[in-house]
Amino acid sequence: MTGDGTRPSVEALGISKAFGGVAALDAVDFEVRWSEVHALVGENGAGKTTLCNILAGIYRADAGQVIVDGTERDFRSPAHAIDAGIGMVHQHFRLVEPMTVAENIHLGWPETPGVVSQRALVDRTEQFMGEMGLHVDPTARIWQLSVGEQQRVEILRVLARGARVLILDEPTAVLTAKEADDLFRVIRELAASGLSVIFITHKLREVLAVSDRLTVLRHGVREITRPTEGATASEIARLMTGEERVLDVEHRTVTGAPALELSGVSALNDRGIEALHDVDLTVRSGEILGIAGVSGNGQSELAEVICALRPLRSGSITLDGADLASLSVRAVTDIGVGHIPEDRIGMGMVLSAPVKDNAVLHNYWTEEFAQGLTLDRQGVINFAKQLVETARVQTRSVFSTAGQMSGGNQQRLVARREALAADRLLVAAHPTRGLDVNAAQEVRSTLIDKRDSGCAVLLISDDLDEVLLMGDRIAVMYEGRIMGVFDSADADREHIGLLMGGHSAVEAAS
Amino acid sequence: MTPLGSIASTVLRVTPWRLERRLEVEARRAALTRIGGAVGAMVLVGIVLLLTGRNAFWIFWQGLDAIFGRQRGIEGAALRAIPILMTALGVALSLRMKVWNIGSDGQFLMGALAAVGVGIHMDGPAWLVLIVMAAAATLAGAAWILVPALARAYWDVNEIITTLLLNFVALQLVTWSALGFWRDKEAAVIQSTREVAHTLPGLPGANSVTIALLVPLVIAAALWWVFRSTTIGYEIDTIGGNPRAAGYAGIAVRRRILIVMLFTGAIAGLGGMLQLSAPGAQAMNAGFSAQFGLSGFIVAALAGASFWGVIGGGLFIASMFYAGIVLQTKGLSVYIIFAIYGVILTGIALGEIAARYRVVRREAVDGDGAQAGDDHDAATERAAT
Repeated sequence: MTGDGTRPSVEALGISKAFGGVAALDAVDFEVRWSEVHALVGENGAGKTTLCNILAGIYRADAGQVIVDGTERDFRSPAHAIDAGIGMVHQHFRLVEPMTVAENIHLGWPETPGVVSQRALVDRTEQFMGEMGLHVDPTARIWQLSVGEQQRVEILRVLARGARVLILDEPTAVLTAKEADDLFRVIRELAASGLSVIFITHKLREVLAVSDRLTVLRHGVREITRPTEGATASEIARLMTGEERVLDVEHRTVTGAPALELSGVSALNDRGIEALHDVDLTVRSGEILGIAGVSGNGQSELAEVICALRPLRSGSITLDGADLASLSVRAVTDIGVGHIPEDRIGMGMVLSAPVKDNAVLHNYWTEEFAQGLTLDRQGVINFAKQLVETARVQTRSVFSTAGQMSGGNQQRLVARREALAADRLLVAAHPTRGLDVNAAQEVRSTLIDKRDSGCAVLLISDDLDEVLLMGDRIAVMYEGRIMGVFDSADADREHIGLLMGGHSAVEAAS
Repeated sequence: MTPLGSIASTVLRVTPWRLERRLEVEARRAALTRIGGAVGAMVLVGIVLLLTGRNAFWIFWQGLDAIFGRQRGIEGAALRAIPILMTALGVALSLRMKVWNIGSDGQFLMGALAAVGVGIHMDGPAWLVLIVMAAAATLAGAAWILVPALARAYWDVNEIITTLLLNFVALQLVTWSALGFWRDKEAAVIQSTREVAHTLPGLPGANSVTIALLVPLVIAAALWWVFRSTTIGYEIDTIGGNPRAAGYAGIAVRRRILIVMLFTGAIAGLGGMLQLSAPGAQAMNAGFSAQFGLSGFIVAALAGASFWGVIGGGLFIASMFYAGIVLQTKGLSVYIIFAIYGVILTGIALGEIAARYRVVRREAVDGDGAQAGDDHDAATERAAT
């Protein structure tokens, strides 16, 4: 069980996996040793979680072998994987909130006695926590616990089932700094006791702080596996982001008064925690400001606060000098602000409604379609047909539901709809996420057309290549703060990669 | 997949066919499968009746003859249809917004109670009294859902519980009025309010059916138009389809929920007045609502919130109930009648589900359909960069 730090605990050889014909992993080799903390690093969509889901029995690989402690395995379910000693803690916890810690740890565990008292469950849990050196009040109910404590319960749940290889999927994404430090200590102790810990992250500081070795994935391919000792943040950043040839987009330097101006903006996220701290930003008419950063660093809240979907806590937002923050959602739209929302299915459209209804979601109330109470049905249909044609949306008809379209077509529809609504400002959040190359190019040219017609464009993307390609200026966000703003000519990929990973401008410059 | 869908696909597993969910269900197919379900259920009922030694053909003939064989039958079915249609239309309206108003029985009763209150106290020409009765009933129905509607709209309190429980309160109020403050002291029955002197004018050529029958038809047509041709209908459908998208489109979601819920109560309340203003039904007692709200709810759910579907379904169920009553007089026990109702309604419900699937031949390679969406996104996202 315990290892010497050299013998592999898990080996994955030549793992490939495709979803719907798109390769998520392409012949990836991956090896983890006993007693080590192994960081699995990469940008969003690099294939980290897919690889771990294969190791944990959630997906089956299309090709390749998984060897656990010297024996080849073919997992058909997570139960098979946990029998072989591999357990995964997911980013979103799978705990039953109204139940106690002891109950959650014993739920669905074959070793839980059939008839058992609360007392006995608590005793067993306490004994087990003592063995593991991890403590949470076993009688507390999950909803009473902090996020860090809930995560500890998840880890205990997996360890209780005999996991000797522990996979943590972006474990610090939900934690405070103090909780993250506690987690790192736990991880180090578990590794010291002989376990393997696979730690998925894209935060460079964490990689350097906690791991023994690291593997970088990029676009489903392994870039490198190496000891963490001697690695530098800038080297990892470069491997993560790659150095792709940049497609030709002519960048502009626009001077003049800002169209959109944010000053000292703060806002809370849905959990009531401050997600934007004192943000200052300007976007001028006729330019694209690209926001670079890893998802979850306040970009969603930034888009929502500008579009009046989220209350402003402090600061001011103006468009061409006029206050934007006091306006209603509808008034913001009426003065010419378009918004391609990050979650196109959850927010940008009604999947159960026909395409024609979705086409006018952001302007059905305007004079073009509404005469008093009545909606100009033929006008809506004509508008939708035209939109579908110009945006090259493939749908059976405008009367079919939006849900029958592919994701790419849904996004084409939303992007074109919002571009039409945006006379003065277009906020585009991850507009090409999930799209194939052609669809992504079309959405990008829509944004460039808007810019060239004098509209201010705010582009949020977690794809650094896209931000560098599109942005006339580039701002980097990390933990709700603007880390720096650059003209595209001065934007250095490595420097921006460091800022995205949370290194301050001073650290990055040195 | 619905539980029934997954049961069906389990059964099909050993065959070369499998179930596939349709991307879209056309209205015509949805109607046809429901009718098919009802017919299939009747065939099943017939077989069981034959096996138990009863003459199924004679029973069905008697049922049909009871309704369509004489004017009294058609009118009897129509009288039963009015309250069912009114409560069903209220529920169907709320379902367009994915709100479940289970309290249409209570709103119906409160509407009738308000109408009785006006009817037995107000002096004046019959037309004026009837109009005031209708207005009072409409307001009372809306008032009865006001608290659940406010709680749902502004504090996200589940409306199913609140509207359901208010049904029992309404029933107690009716009993109190019939035994207490509005009790008819001269009547032979103990539990009854005094009688309203006025009734709605009859339909030309009808003995007992009044112009009340036209009200649900007018309301269904109005609702159909609202949802086809107005921004209000568009907004309600958007809220029902995706409340977050409605907020994103700048729709005042909470206020819309409040207003629509008040309307659903108002329609049911008006239904109470219509029931009360039929000849021979002008007083209230505890048995005033024969759970019309429940029947209306079934109709709305089976009609899938389509207003013309509600009209068709409501007329069908009312006819079925009326035929059942007549068949009881022909010696069929009430338990068998209820069992037949149940089988037929289940058949329609199965037809509603069947419309969403089709059976296709199993392909050589079975794609694994169960992939977590986020990882799928991650994969396609990769392809985009």
